[in-house]
Amino acid sequence: MALKPVTFSADPGDQSWYEASARARLAGLLDAESFQEFIGPEQRMMSPHLPLFDLPRAFDDGMIVGRGRLDGQAVLAAAQEGRFMGGAFGEIHGAKLVGLLRAALAEAPAALLILFDTGGVRLQEANAGETAIAEVMRAIAQVRAAGIPVIGLIGGRAGCYGGGGLIAGTCSRLVVSESGRISVSGPEVIETNKGAEEFDSRDRALVWRTMGGKHRRLLGGADAFVGDTIGAFRDAALTQIAKAPAFDLATLEAEQARLEARLARFGDCHDATEVWGRLGVNDPDAVPGMTTEAFDALLARLPEAPHDAR
Amino acid sequence: MTDWRQERTARDARIARAGPHADGKVVPAAKAVDLLEAILQPGDRVCLEGDNQKQADCLARALSACDPARVHDLHMVQSGIVLPEHLDVFEQGIARRLDYSYSGPQGARIAKMLYGGQIELGAVHTYLELFARYFIDLTPNVALIAGVSADRDGNLYTGPNTEDTPTVVEATAFKNGVVVAQVNAIVDKVPRVDIPGDRIDFVVEADRPFYVEPLFTRDPAAVTETQILMAMMAIKGIYAEYGIRRLNHGIGFGTAAIELLLPTYAERLGLKGRIATHWALNPHPSLIPAIESGWVKQIHCFGSEVGMDRYIRARPDVFFTGSDGSLRSNRAFCQTAGLYACDLFIGSTLQIDLQGHSSTVTTNRVAGFGGAPNMGSDPHGRRHPSDTWMKAGREAGGEGDPALRRGRKLVVQLVETFGDKLVPAFVEKLDALELARKLKLELAPVMIYADDVTHIVTEEGIANLLLCRTLDEREQAIRGVAGYTEVGRGRDKAMVERLRQRGIIRRPEDLGIEPLDADRSLLAAKSIKDLVHWSGGLYEPPAKFRNW
Repeated sequence: MALKPVTFSADPGDQSWYEASARARLAGLLDAESFQEFIGPEQRMMSPHLPLFDLPRAFDDGMIVGRGRLDGQAVLAAAQEGRFMGGAFGEIHGAKLVGLLRAALAEAPAALLILFDTGGVRLQEANAGETAIAEVMRAIAQVRAAGIPVIGLIGGRAGCYGGGGLIAGTCSRLVVSESGRISVSGPEVIETNKGAEEFDSRDRALVWRTMGGKHRRLLGGADAFVGDTIGAFRDAALTQIAKAPAFDLATLEAEQARLEARLARFGDCHDATEVWGRLGVNDPDAVPGMTTEAFDALLARLPEAPHDAR
Repeated sequence: MTDWRQERTARDARIARAGPHADGKVVPAAKAVDLLEAILQPGDRVCLEGDNQKQADCLARALSACDPARVHDLHMVQSGIVLPEHLDVFEQGIARRLDYSYSGPQGARIAKMLYGGQIELGAVHTYLELFARYFIDLTPNVALIAGVSADRDGNLYTGPNTEDTPTVVEATAFKNGVVVAQVNAIVDKVPRVDIPGDRIDFVVEADRPFYVEPLFTRDPAAVTETQILMAMMAIKGIYAEYGIRRLNHGIGFGTAAIELLLPTYAERLGLKGRIATHWALNPHPSLIPAIESGWVKQIHCFGSEVGMDRYIRARPDVFFTGSDGSLRSNRAFCQTAGLYACDLFIGSTLQIDLQGHSSTVTTNRVAGFGGAPNMGSDPHGRRHPSDTWMKAGREAGGEGDPALRRGRKLVVQLVETFGDKLVPAFVEKLDALELARKLKLELAPVMIYADDVTHIVTEEGIANLLLCRTLDEREQAIRGVAGYTEVGRGRDKAMVERLRQRGIIRRPEDLGIEPLDADRSLLAAKSIKDLVHWSGGLYEPPAKFRNW
């Protein structure tokens, strides 16, 4: 049978963010060939703790940091590799991010981007990991106070859980896709501690409508919702850099007031669909099935959608 | 004078004994145990309906709750050993002998019980073979079946999962047996009559809807690049090469990858309309992109698949549907279609030996084989030619007048050299032989016999066994695609290279395939959600497959 020759598309912007590795995300997100890695895998800065547990290590400890350009602007960027130990924070992993944030104070880039993909702290090096989370949050406050926006991008397999969820809460702006999930305690943790009646972790639709990107965007926990392509994340990162609010007392007081109002309004809801109904969504059950375009159209119709989260 | 109506008289007695527990034909779920104890007699042959999909689970629970003093030594003749109750009845002494076809989740327990002597095993059949024996020497005395709804006269609506029901009822009702159906609801009028009421003796209104396993759903998110590479090789090296239009796919991620590459890779090769148009297949969600892209002319189904009902209703040009709009499946007919009217079967296995025998039985798991042994066999009763069948027949060689040589069905094994937990798929000796020795079985439980297999596809290449002329060539062809397994490393390198020159072994590069092109971006759908979008929102996946 005569066959046609097959060609393969290679536009990195069309690639799925969810499917891509951390390095592929950085390569497609930043201007072509602009990324310069700090402490690259060739330096073999690996976890000192994992060998104690007979666990394999990664040459980059699952964290890639460096500088590059985004539409010509100088930026710093950090990306977590969710496929190595669920992107969990260990000593080296965390130290690389803290170091990058401190470098931002000296380099004064147009923005610092964090490509989250993490289940939280690595249990085998929990003390170092927890310390890193605290140091990262402190450093983000300093970077933002210096007028540098910190933009979180969330759409990976591991989501953004545990300490990663805490760090995300300190960023200037968050961009999320549908498959990205943001929370502190994960579904299994909640079920283990509070029982399946409280949260059935095997009910995947429940997990996504409670922690997934659409809910976080509707509730104002994330500032932009994008389709699952590297190109869409790039466009949204550029838009959000321009929109990042000042890190001052007025912003923090406004955020505190917004969170108090949110708790008062939705605190008694038992399911995300109730929240969405109160927000003015006509058919809450249809939200999870919506395409990105339909969801964008829904956001445009809602009076409260353009939350200024921070 | 000979009494020619002994069976009929016995049947009438059973019905009469059960009468007090029923209101006409209708029996409440709470009375199901009483009903079965009244109907059943020790030593009865019983078909408890259940295969790899729907389960008469309410009646299974009732049977396992029967008093072993009254109901014992039953001979179970059923497609599937799937629910725990299917084996509980053997532990309790309610049942003793077993003839079946498939056991998935209970594979480990069934092995233990066979070793322990709690089950007297007849044979592990192919579906069609067991159905055939229902009409010859394994005719059920009592059939316990499942449907969606029934009216008070017993007219039964099976819903999209018709599956084995017509066959089981045919064999039982027309040979003096008693048929009990569990239904989700008793209604005034059924949407369509799948089984006429005069073949149903009692209808039990079940306490909850019958269970259906979503066995044929494969999440595209879990398809690996190795599976994509193998799918590319199968499409280019087999589907295109033989022009395969009529086919059946086994369950597995490898075949799901092929389905997901049809609208992308195969379309770019210009194969649309030339391959994979007519199918004997369950409604695989992973086939939705190919259907929506206009690849598929029609599909006949063994059973249905959870979540596919609305989609099927909206595509009656593709699927077989009833006057009510819902799917009508039929396992016996579809197995026959797969045997006689398909030119290719492709599926996976756990073990392949040096001759090409394959089995999914291991020493501690006795999984039955489902449809594979039937689909994956070359039917000697076939008389109609097709280009595919004739080409394969020519490759197999032979002597004498070409008009007297039969064609060959293509039977393809699609296996990664190392399976789950890095267990090698290629072995010197099948575990099934050891099992047969321990259980003193005359026949080892082989899924597909070596003389039926025509091709083996692994990530290392394709072995065309049709072209092998000696047993030695065949062994080296298998070793030649067995990768780094012990079997693969034991190859005769010079001979494998000669086989490659003759086209018996073909590597990806021999097919013009660059392994680095085997990328997940080639999949028409990368997630279950993509499948929902392809279906226009008509596919409703079960909760465990959702990630949105």
